[in-house]
Amino acid sequence: MDIQLFQEELLKKAQDVGFHEAEVYYEKSNSFQVKIFEGEIDSYETSEEGGVGFRGLYNGKMGYAYTEKIDDDSISFLIEGAKANADALDEDDGTDIFGGSEHYSEHSRYSDELANVSIPEKIAFIKEVEKKTLAYDPRIVSVNYCVLQDFSQDRVLTNNKGLSLQDKTNGLIVFIYAVAKDGEEMKTGGAVRLTRDFNSLDADEIANEAGKEAISSLGEKSIPSRKYPIIMRHDASASLLAAFTPIFSAEEAQKGQSLLKDKIGEEIGAKNFSLVDDPFHPEALLGRNFDGEGVATKKTIIISDGTLKTLLHNRKTAKKEGVDSTGHASKASYKSTLSVAPDNLYIAPGEESQEELMATIEEGVLITDLSGLHSGTSTISGDFSVAASGFYIKDGKIASPVKQMTIAGNFYDYMNGIVSVGSDLKFVPGGYGSPSVKVKELSVTVD
Amino acid sequence: MIKQSIIENVLEAALSTGGDFSEVFIEDKFVNSIELQSDKIERSISGRDFGIGIRIFSGLQNVYTYTSDFTEEGLIEAAKRAALAISGGGNGIIHPLQKEVIKPIHTIAQLPQTVENARKVAVMRKANEIARNYDERIRQVGLRYYDEEQNVLIANSEGKFVEDKRVHSRLAIQSTASEGAEMQSGFYGPGAHAGFEFIENLDLQHYAGEASRIAVTMLGADECPSGKFPVIIDNEFGGVIFHEACGHGLEATSVAKNTSVFANRIGEKVAPDIVTYIDDGTLPNEWGSLTIDDEGERTRKNVLIENGILKGYMIDKFNARRMNAEATGSSRRQSYRFNPTSRMTNTYIAPGKSTPEEIIASTENGIYAKYMGGGQVNPATGDYNFAVAEAYLVKDGKIGRPIRGATLIGNGAKTLQLVDKVGNNLAHGAGMCGSVSGSLPVNVGQPMLRVSEITVGGTKGE
Repeated sequence: MDIQLFQEELLKKAQDVGFHEAEVYYEKSNSFQVKIFEGEIDSYETSEEGGVGFRGLYNGKMGYAYTEKIDDDSISFLIEGAKANADALDEDDGTDIFGGSEHYSEHSRYSDELANVSIPEKIAFIKEVEKKTLAYDPRIVSVNYCVLQDFSQDRVLTNNKGLSLQDKTNGLIVFIYAVAKDGEEMKTGGAVRLTRDFNSLDADEIANEAGKEAISSLGEKSIPSRKYPIIMRHDASASLLAAFTPIFSAEEAQKGQSLLKDKIGEEIGAKNFSLVDDPFHPEALLGRNFDGEGVATKKTIIISDGTLKTLLHNRKTAKKEGVDSTGHASKASYKSTLSVAPDNLYIAPGEESQEELMATIEEGVLITDLSGLHSGTSTISGDFSVAASGFYIKDGKIASPVKQMTIAGNFYDYMNGIVSVGSDLKFVPGGYGSPSVKVKELSVTVD
Repeated sequence: MIKQSIIENVLEAALSTGGDFSEVFIEDKFVNSIELQSDKIERSISGRDFGIGIRIFSGLQNVYTYTSDFTEEGLIEAAKRAALAISGGGNGIIHPLQKEVIKPIHTIAQLPQTVENARKVAVMRKANEIARNYDERIRQVGLRYYDEEQNVLIANSEGKFVEDKRVHSRLAIQSTASEGAEMQSGFYGPGAHAGFEFIENLDLQHYAGEASRIAVTMLGADECPSGKFPVIIDNEFGGVIFHEACGHGLEATSVAKNTSVFANRIGEKVAPDIVTYIDDGTLPNEWGSLTIDDEGERTRKNVLIENGILKGYMIDKFNARRMNAEATGSSRRQSYRFNPTSRMTNTYIAPGKSTPEEIIASTENGIYAKYMGGGQVNPATGDYNFAVAEAYLVKDGKIGRPIRGATLIGNGAKTLQLVDKVGNNLAHGAGMCGSVSGSLPVNVGQPMLRVSEITVGGTKGE
């Protein structure tokens, strides 16, 4: 069934049965993924999918429904579902459908060139990455995850207040994890690349990064468990930031689930710590020109030199506080209700290289990977205690890899404990970025 | 869901380039989710997931494609496009589809799709009230009700043609307690492969009460010490430690490629005699249970470790080829969007002889982990970590002060060797397990047990 006709029909029928305001959100995606194992294609996946999310005001309350099956029967399925869901809600919370922003960016996140890269070219490239990684060092015994994936997505948001928006995006991601073995000791090392420019990928560079990380982790030593000054490498820092992102959401604050509630204008971090969300950042793969309810997105400074400037808002949370939406209404997909989330959230980079950050540390730990973030962090208390991999720093230089560790602390203290911020800003999948960061101290426990 | 003749044509198109096996997985799923926050029903959404996954093998090549286009032309086009990735020997045969009627082993009394929202909401309000009234320091309670009815049809070139209906219901409760500037939370999320009868019969006093009790207890908790300690892990969700520490390493996903520490070790002693580890998808109505797996194979009780000896793995059809073994009814996928692979269902340590009282009384200086958070494992190295949601110090055989921020780390194969007590009070807990074929409902289970030494990471220092 033609999607445009479907949308028109759905909005019309919705109005007929008593939805005064209604919105249709449609997504269509294509993806390709290939996994290589020992020079052969281990798995090969393609997809084409899409779905429709409907929401509307029924008796003043916002009901939601979605479907991936798009046919004539789906219209009544969506309308009946949304009605029943509106009825279940307790009260009119003041949400409504948005009439539109004055200006929308035309920023492009789609590369025709990337779309034209052939599948054999992509397969040849990722096979090359695996081969070069295996050849990096005789101690690399296997590559246990070697994947190239690309995706493209179209989004369309239409409502009965006259708004009709669309955008499209594509991108390509490469993941590789190498396993290094020396005697009984086994370590893994990985590399990840996100890009819209296939030609910018360099198989040697990716293989060297994964190989080097795995090999350099061999020869682990134990160090006494205690508090140490810490360098969080850019990727580890970005993943910790991602885990604590809900504390910057006005929705969480309004529910009393973030300790940043009522802290606007206060110093909550060190002077050299600034936090930015930029939907248009050139090095980030994600971003969008309109948010989940159609508000134009813009660059937002959340923390400036340690001072909290704003939390992230959608129209509902903004209305509660009498401010403007920051354009952060999020919808993970057409299957979701509206929430709040950043686009490309990152810690603003400073001046120093990773080596310079390390140079002044007499004894400390460089953290290169964190694991168990989904369970070892509490966004409510700010406490974290997570598994970590990394290196012992002695007299300003890396001395040896450290056995499996945990690092523990509190994220609110962590923001205040930032001593200096590096210049090596990098983004990880999911839209989070950070440079390497030097922190006063964290508790380190070594296995 | 889709005409048999169309399915046959798709299976055939999938083998047009010489693949030796093709499969169609059709999913039509109805879901409802309701959220309560700040005493109000704030969100309610319902929907329908629908799509078709097509899988082709050619020797050790595995090609997967999925689409939500259900027209015959669309499906055949998708199958042919996927087949382009295969350069097989060209001898794929389609056996005539034989409809298999299976008797579901998990009875569903009330399909959630037929239950009106008001009844679901009533249970949520009651749980909210219990959680809120537990203690005046409880400042916020969030509840999420979730149900799904997943209808699947699985057909393959070997002639399999089978349908199944899976129903899941869950109520997740999160309580937040605060005092001064401090905030702590507690969580409990019972779930089952069952209909609304499961939700209506839940002991809300227990589950909602426990979520609040954990939050309030952790408010006054001390910082967790760091170091190596004997750790007593309580029953039920405590089983998550062995889910991470050895369950993932027993999945063919890592065994087939020899990237697991347990690969090629059948018959070897991998644990003390008191450890028997089982994955059983047939337990009636348990959260991780299924009647058939996502390849249409009957689920079964798979003994993985028996009295310390490694007996078997969890194997799917594709990895069975690499391993030259039989599939074990363990192939799972989150949805039609995922290429299925071997995964856990309800995995547990079988009960032993010690009583919980004896285990605690015989521990001089250790940690008692009453409720676990989640965890993670690196399957290549077996290094795992997981968070403890509610923990206590144990001194001279007695449970002492609560402690917070405890994380346990170690190596799965080594930790398994260090189990020195297994209790007699087996229970199962519901969780979601994320891995290559998506996020799946699984149970983890065990009786109370003790590991003689685990590294505990906290903020207090040694």
